[in-house]
Amino acid sequence: MDNLTWTGSLGTLLNPALLLAAGLFAIAIVLQILTSLVVEPYRAQTLPDGRLSRRGGAIGLIERAPQYLLWALILIVLGYLVGGMIAPYGKAGIIGAISKQLTPVWLALLATYVVSIRYKRRLGLYGKLFDSTVGMIGFGIVMFWVYTAFFSSVGGMIATHDPLSQVSGLKNKLPGTAVPNATDFAMGAHYLLGGDNLARDVFSRMVLGSWEVVKIAPLATMFAFMVGITLGVPAGYYGGKLDTVLSFLANLILAFPVILLFYLLVTPEIVMTGIPSYMAAVLFVFPVLFALVLLNARFRTDPTKRNLIVGVVIGAMAWAYLSLISQPGTVMAFLPAALDLYNIPPGILVVFVSVVFVNSPTVFRIVRGLTLDLSTRDYVAAAQTRGEGPWYIMLWEILPNARGPLIVDFCLRIGYTTILLGTLGFFGLGLPPESPDWGSTINEGRKLLSIYPHPALPPALALLSLVLGLNLLADGLREESLRD
Amino acid sequence: MTHFNSALHPAAYMYAEEERAGKLSRREFMTRATALGLTATAAYGLLGLKAPAAAAGAQMGGTMRIQQNVVAMKDPRTFDWSYLGNVARCWLEYLVEINSDGSMRGMLLEGWEANEDATQYTLHVRPGVTWNNGDAFNADNVVWILNYWCDKAVEGNSMAGRMSSLIDAETGMAREGAIVKLDDMTVQLNLPASDITVMVGMADYPAAVVHPSHDPENMVAQSLGTGPYKLESLEVGVKAVLVRNEGHTWWGHSAEGIGGAYLDRIEFVDYGTDPAAWMAAIESDEVDMLYENVGEFLDIASAIGWEQSDVTTGATLVFRFNQKTEVDGMAPYADVRVRQALSQAVNNGVVLELGYSGRGTEADNHHVAPVHPEYADIGRPTFDPSGTKALLDEAGMGDYEFELITLDDDFNRNSGDAVAAQIRDAGANIKRTIMPGSTFWNDWDKFPFSATEWNHRPLGVQVLALAYRSGEAWNEAAYSNPEFDALLAKAMSLADADARREVMADLETLFRNDAVIIQPFWRKLYRHFRPGVVGAAMHPSFEIHAYKLGFSA
Amino acid sequence: MGLFVLRRVGVMILTALCLTFVVFYLTNLDPNLEKLAKTQGNARMSDEQVQTWLSNRGYDRPDYIKYGEWLGVLPGYVIEGADGDIRGRCLRAGVTAEDAPRFCGILQGDWGFSTVFKEDVSKIVMIRLSQTAKLMGMVMLVMVPSALIIGVLAGMREGSRLDRTLSTASIVTTATPEYVSGVLFITIFASSAVGLKWFNGSATSAMENMTFVNFTLPVMTVALYGMGYIARMTRASMTEVMTAQYIRTARLKGVSFRNIVIKHALRNALIAPFTVIMLQFPWLLNGVVIVETLFNFKGFGWTLVQAAGNNDIEMLLGVSVVSVFVVLTTQLISDIGYVFLNPRIRIS
Repeated sequence: MDNLTWTGSLGTLLNPALLLAAGLFAIAIVLQILTSLVVEPYRAQTLPDGRLSRRGGAIGLIERAPQYLLWALILIVLGYLVGGMIAPYGKAGIIGAISKQLTPVWLALLATYVVSIRYKRRLGLYGKLFDSTVGMIGFGIVMFWVYTAFFSSVGGMIATHDPLSQVSGLKNKLPGTAVPNATDFAMGAHYLLGGDNLARDVFSRMVLGSWEVVKIAPLATMFAFMVGITLGVPAGYYGGKLDTVLSFLANLILAFPVILLFYLLVTPEIVMTGIPSYMAAVLFVFPVLFALVLLNARFRTDPTKRNLIVGVVIGAMAWAYLSLISQPGTVMAFLPAALDLYNIPPGILVVFVSVVFVNSPTVFRIVRGLTLDLSTRDYVAAAQTRGEGPWYIMLWEILPNARGPLIVDFCLRIGYTTILLGTLGFFGLGLPPESPDWGSTINEGRKLLSIYPHPALPPALALLSLVLGLNLLADGLREESLRD
Repeated sequence: MTHFNSALHPAAYMYAEEERAGKLSRREFMTRATALGLTATAAYGLLGLKAPAAAAGAQMGGTMRIQQNVVAMKDPRTFDWSYLGNVARCWLEYLVEINSDGSMRGMLLEGWEANEDATQYTLHVRPGVTWNNGDAFNADNVVWILNYWCDKAVEGNSMAGRMSSLIDAETGMAREGAIVKLDDMTVQLNLPASDITVMVGMADYPAAVVHPSHDPENMVAQSLGTGPYKLESLEVGVKAVLVRNEGHTWWGHSAEGIGGAYLDRIEFVDYGTDPAAWMAAIESDEVDMLYENVGEFLDIASAIGWEQSDVTTGATLVFRFNQKTEVDGMAPYADVRVRQALSQAVNNGVVLELGYSGRGTEADNHHVAPVHPEYADIGRPTFDPSGTKALLDEAGMGDYEFELITLDDDFNRNSGDAVAAQIRDAGANIKRTIMPGSTFWNDWDKFPFSATEWNHRPLGVQVLALAYRSGEAWNEAAYSNPEFDALLAKAMSLADADARREVMADLETLFRNDAVIIQPFWRKLYRHFRPGVVGAAMHPSFEIHAYKLGFSA
Repeated sequence: MGLFVLRRVGVMILTALCLTFVVFYLTNLDPNLEKLAKTQGNARMSDEQVQTWLSNRGYDRPDYIKYGEWLGVLPGYVIEGADGDIRGRCLRAGVTAEDAPRFCGILQGDWGFSTVFKEDVSKIVMIRLSQTAKLMGMVMLVMVPSALIIGVLAGMREGSRLDRTLSTASIVTTATPEYVSGVLFITIFASSAVGLKWFNGSATSAMENMTFVNFTLPVMTVALYGMGYIARMTRASMTEVMTAQYIRTARLKGVSFRNIVIKHALRNALIAPFTVIMLQFPWLLNGVVIVETLFNFKGFGWTLVQAAGNNDIEMLLGVSVVSVFVVLTTQLISDIGYVFLNPRIRIS
């Protein structure tokens, strides 16, 4: 069995082209920045026939060249990916094989974009995202990882090997190394991105690692938002003693060095005492409370309807809540196994609780600030004169108007949480050590980085790109929500 | 060195025969012959060889920076890290020392001899040794330190285990008449049964000789000892600095065959447990030698141009089941079938490859190494992963989730992952937990299934006695089998390796059938140092003999 | 103003009290005390031995009493242990029971004794804090000017190619956590594998002798991560200022672009970043933990990790006090500075 090269036969044509285009692009960018420092920006004018004027001459060329070259670059990269998808396995090298493996992701992305751009005018803020290039790129990167995570874990598709199984002879082998005993020239015949220090497949671990991040980071951020919102809105709206006490508590948690907090919370000793379980019980009750107040405020005027809706929704949530916090083997083991819907591994629960705990105060502060600002608006006064209850005003008048900044912060915070999870992995706290999550993989791979960079770089670049995507997405959203 | 025993010990001739017949390794021969009181030169002579020349001359002066963890100093007899021994060795000395080639030589003792059945030892104190407070070192000091070691009541005194044949089981102190001062320079040890490990025990790292006025709380400031250096500063986790003790005349300068103490200053710098940090230290030119080097980092350090020194040893990593620890009200590993099922799922060769990059030899789950003189080859352990599930089901543990806990340390964790992966492949349900040192050491001896690193011991019976005899402090497998204890006692009274080997075969088989441990490999140990550093050769017990260190002229 | 500062100091003390009590409570939980006993005594102690060890040293008494002793409002314990030795909170080596002071807590200037480092906490804190201060000082020196320059350059012509490039670059740096960039830097600039070997991948020698070679990488790693954030804040503030009425007036009057940026826009654009920069201090204190671990630089963050890993109670309390002090002081300075820089705001 032959090993794979990076680009296979596709590379003979595309590699020189890529090099040329990339080199020219870099030169063009530098030239353009240099000229923009000396030359005044050009103001386009409408020509008599309705088109816009363009600057001519050498300077005009310098200004436009990067754009053309960028398109050329994108085309070449697409060439690699599409070529890989179409060509038989192995012909298009490692990149082609990876692209082929990611086919479901590409299709899903394509479908998402086609549908979203087609109906973008009807999709509110989400639709407006597609007016901003930055937002679109960010959204693309984020969705790439979301789909990858989804298809690889739930769909069981993308990964070529089991993330934990070790194949003898592939320890620290370079990308494209053939698996011993593999006969067919098909998926799984090679370690596409090489083997790590324990002879596990780097590509599969990276791909499945995305699921670890995608399932924890957004969920933890969401809980933090629930806590922050449930406490922040009343603190900002009522002010007074409530505000003073809650703000003091928030500042107290924020004054804690984050690492110290984690060291104090995420050790086996503390887990033994059950403190994380109690914290989970407190923190996870907020979404239930939030839903209860939200629905109650809405349907207060119609008791029958309210009782029905609140009863069903809260009943379901309460059950989920009880299943979540009830955990055999910990201090909270009250639910009989038959009623217990699911059990979270205790390690993950601790990490989850800690992440929610450190994120909530910041969210609280943002929400409180926004509420303080918004509660002076006319529509709040109008609602008050209408005789609406305070909770209705808070949750159905103020909150929707604060959504712009909150959504932006939500995206940024997911990225921050991803970094935080990696930090925990770095200090050996939290997630189980074999887990393919990016933080732990980077930390493991960094030790041998100077001789075998290939196990550490893929998760590092993956983490970087996801956080970057979230940042770009947040930027796009901010831009678009400001236009409201 | 003066040789007191003009007639060589008869057993020494026997060992020499065995060595020539290939029954005994060169290292083992050296250990055993010198333990009987022969000088290294005489021992080599018995083999018809010339003693290897002493290290090439080093120049006087210089500062050596050594990468090594710096831990808080404590009473030497309670030492639990070789690190402590290495720092203490700069100002505290040992009665005897074991060298990298396995030979033993007297330090504070000038020599010793044993009677024929190894029940009586005569120790000769080296004349001319003084403490750095001016006191002379004499037989009284030796008697005092032996009694000090024999105090079983002291928490964590591991010397008591090594001196067990001197101790009265009832009082927990040295037996009446066991330690006798013959004259100012001679001490006699009388043992109830033959014990071949006593002298070896005096060379181990907790056996540093302290002054009778020794105050464990104040060791750092006092720095009271016989050695050539004194402690200038010790910052836990950061650095320990030792400088030449200018006011003190060290005996080694004038003693024949010792010499050394070339350096003016020795710094132990702590770089944590991450080998990547050690490599960074090498590349940044911040250290001159490593305490130890492991795994892939060997290639890196060699590529940088440092010299590698290695030694084949009985050092190993043992995956032991604690038979007593309870999880949720039951002891999962009390049943031998469970232990057997898990151990037969593991191919030791694969663990060696993945966990230790193949840098060692396969072991056979009975903790007696081929380098030990009494090693009996009883073949490879059963490897039958297909039978694991059935055996577990039979024991009613088919669906039980096992947990393997190891330290977060390069080969500990890699080997653990390899073991867990194989057990998982065999159809058992196993969870992996890796803990940082701070948490791991907290409870390590009670973890139900975990890995323990064992250092090299010169004799096979030593480890078995230390680690698997019923009720021993270091028996974290909680293994207790009267039959094993009896066989072990029998083996330990046999001075002849051949006779002992027969008992050992039974002992090893019994031990392995009880599936006490999974022992994947024997480690080779490595150390790297800057070219031009002398006296830094790797030692089977990680010892650094400060007085030998220097920079070549 | 005086009252404002006074109130903030009051809040600060209250926060410090609450926070240290939380740390105290968590570190004094039974499993943590057991861990302490085993690391201090020996790893193979039995449960009874652990109990005697703890009661000999007064650890088995109620938390509020122990906390009071630490604060110095209650007299330190003197306990005759089961082994006949007399131990006391205020008894150190060389001090007899008669000479020892009755109170020895924070109020008396005694920060306690670190069980890991076998030294007075105050001494360790001072040594380690000065090391971290060195690192932080260098980071600030590199990070703040470059972040401001990048932000101003990007913000002065919103939407230009320069703006796009610099903004993207700053987003990339904020998306690169220290443990990724540090690892990359070590590989590229310090390892023999790549072969550049411009800098050292270990900063241990920088503790005694700080040089360009051994200190560049840690400083760069921390600075890069923080830089993007400040640069983006500066850019936002700069673009806002550049669209303000008075700038437009200046432009219409024909003032050159360079003069507008330097004389009119800059001062006002730097008010908002000032707050952000001040708030970076507490973050640096935490963020350097990773870098200190990565580069083996033994500063405050490293001390924190060691103390936390070994449940060194009094060391952790000392660390908490210092962190609270740093966090709240920088907040205070940032608030006061904001007032001074922006004459339109008055604190009531």
